[in-house]
Amino acid sequence: MAKEMIAMLLAGGQGSRLYALTEKLAKPAVPFGGKYRIIDFPLSNCVNSGIDTVGILTQYQPLVLNEYIGNGQPWDLDRLYGGVHVLPPYQKASGSDWYKGTANAIYQNISFIERYDPKYVIILSGDQICKQDYSDFLKFHKEKEAEFSVAVMEVPWDEASRFGLMVADENDKITEFQEKPKNPKSNLASMGIYIFNWDILKKYLEDDEANPDSENDFGNNIIPNLLSDNRKMYAYHFDGYWKDVGTISSLWEANMEVLDPEHSGINLFDEDWKIYSRNSGMTGHKISAGAVVENSMLTDGCRIKGTVKHSVLFSGVKVEKGAVVEDAVVMGGTVIKEGAVVKHCIIAENVTIGENAIVGAMPTETEKGVATIGANITIGDNAKIGPNAMVRKNVEGGEEQ
Amino acid sequence: MISENMNTLGIIFPNSYDAMVPELVKVRLMASIPFASRYRLIDFTLSSMANCNIDNICVMVNNNYHSLMDHLGSGREWDLARKNGGLHIYPPFAQKNAKPYNGRVEALASLLNFLRDQKEKYVIITDTNIVANFDYHAMIKAHIESGADITAAYNEQELPESILNSHSNDKGFYYTFDVKENRITKIYVNPKEPGVQNFSMNMYLIGRELLISLIDEAFIHGQQYFERDVLLPQVNKLNIQGYKYDGYVARITDTKSYFDENMKLLDDYNLDALFSGNPIYTKIRDDNPTRYIEGAKVQNVMVADGCIIEGEVENSILFRGVTIAKGAKVKNCILMQGTAVESGADIEYLITDKDVTVTAGKEMKGTDSYPIYIGKSQKI
Repeated sequence: MAKEMIAMLLAGGQGSRLYALTEKLAKPAVPFGGKYRIIDFPLSNCVNSGIDTVGILTQYQPLVLNEYIGNGQPWDLDRLYGGVHVLPPYQKASGSDWYKGTANAIYQNISFIERYDPKYVIILSGDQICKQDYSDFLKFHKEKEAEFSVAVMEVPWDEASRFGLMVADENDKITEFQEKPKNPKSNLASMGIYIFNWDILKKYLEDDEANPDSENDFGNNIIPNLLSDNRKMYAYHFDGYWKDVGTISSLWEANMEVLDPEHSGINLFDEDWKIYSRNSGMTGHKISAGAVVENSMLTDGCRIKGTVKHSVLFSGVKVEKGAVVEDAVVMGGTVIKEGAVVKHCIIAENVTIGENAIVGAMPTETEKGVATIGANITIGDNAKIGPNAMVRKNVEGGEEQ
Repeated sequence: MISENMNTLGIIFPNSYDAMVPELVKVRLMASIPFASRYRLIDFTLSSMANCNIDNICVMVNNNYHSLMDHLGSGREWDLARKNGGLHIYPPFAQKNAKPYNGRVEALASLLNFLRDQKEKYVIITDTNIVANFDYHAMIKAHIESGADITAAYNEQELPESILNSHSNDKGFYYTFDVKENRITKIYVNPKEPGVQNFSMNMYLIGRELLISLIDEAFIHGQQYFERDVLLPQVNKLNIQGYKYDGYVARITDTKSYFDENMKLLDDYNLDALFSGNPIYTKIRDDNPTRYIEGAKVQNVMVADGCIIEGEVENSILFRGVTIAKGAKVKNCILMQGTAVESGADIEYLITDKDVTVTAGKEMKGTDSYPIYIGKSQKI
């Protein structure tokens, strides 16, 4: 039985600009928003949009991601026909290759897509925080009788030159594509989310593969090729919340925006568009007498005895007596010991912050850095970690960084 | 089998002692009463069994079991959706003259054909009104080592006042034991003795073949209750070993004890005693984390996911999806899933069932000795 549309989720990126956070972790597996990982957003969008078949293309540090996805049950993607499949590069009779680029990753899995004989394929990116109804996108694609559609966001003109831009006419038909241009002709930034008619996608993937000079990339090769062939290409306007969390500061910012859904637009409290995740299974969180919790998000397993202000805490985080956590993102299992002060920073999973240690500082005019501590690290008692630090190794007690 | 536990089958009686908590079971049964901010009572029994590799489990529902069916689903959350064994839900067999079970003998009699077909060597039978992170493995080991016919779990505690003060037996039977060198020498039915007793946890480990023959015999003679009618008269004939359980036990015997046992978990010592062992699983609702908005004041609370808190909360247990509006005050309360406390409301010593709304400005206060219970979906 043919499927109307299946999704291919690009999740192989290293996310090198997240440094310590992605040392042992693919970017889509980076924790976000108290109990999620980034990949929960595209996966939940798929299932909420009625897409029941998702191929996840992995390459860089896939262990955590593979275990997290498992059989797909948390997203209701454990299906008899379809469901979620993790697709790493594999060996073939003709040899084997890493995924050379985004287009090559899909090319190497053409036979996976053909098992479902879909009419349309949606290409998703595993490194964005976005709540989007893909069925509305598909409706647009069909109405325009397009062969290729791309989701675009309007961005401020002065920032436009940082993005891949789509120039479109009044009917949303794309006439030109500019990759990070000096003189932008449009402010419609590509979100890296595409719908293709499968026959078109297959043809262009095969042509692209045959070209030895190609980088095998959607943005640099496939889209320009479609344009030069005058294919029916349309830009779908999306105006909901969308954030590329590719840098430490944007990841920190997106987490803080979760605390202010009224202004930022990222509402996790949406009964009609739940974001699913693999749950910790811990008991309800506890706030002791004498603790202070203000303007924050807490989840199962947290134990708070100190002060938590304007912060996002993941499951099982312990904040001991006299400790202060402010403007911080603290990931699962981390312990912040008595008297420690943790401000304006990201602390990864299972970190121990020693007694009276200081991590990060509130931003000033000249210093706006987000201190970052990698997973499983111990910061010794009385240690001091400056606001620009990127900690990848244990820090002895009393040391400064 | 690698593990002896996999040789054990579990039978759970989810309706036992419903009569002790009449308000709480109005729309459900004992097993599906919410507990400890995100669980239902049966989660502790099922998780304990699953954690000990007991993965062939029968739940002998009797009445009011829709909420339990909804909660259990296929049993997947407890890793009990299996090809071999897994979770079985047995309601009374609907036929002419069918009526709900009275005691365990009647319920088990209807299960005899199933029991004859199973492969497990042992059967463990239990209720759900006792919350414990129970190590069945240790009990099975003790049973095998002692060579007992039956092993009965008990803990040492005083009988609850609600039981001592009860003038009739209409809330069900409870039992205490005389134990000599681990062997149970006498079983008392509804005793009124003050002081610490060997209080039966109504949890028995017994060989499957022996259980079948005992139930067969008892049913033919029109007997109803396993302890009163089967064990008690044969206490000298059968080798019944006592298994003293020293772990954390929360026993629900009336609405007050339900309130107290929840509140006790606000003490870290008790919380750790109950939860630091194996994980307790429950149905996943995929709520977002709980949000504390500017102006929220919270002291000494246990809160599940999915809540939005803008008001003041003290000494309380909040279940999933509770909202506390600005200016509302909540003290010494248990607020079940979906309770909404509107702005300016002021409540103390309340147990609100699911989806209760406390309207704006409303003031309502129970007392320490008599918390007020508000029924499901009520608006006050």
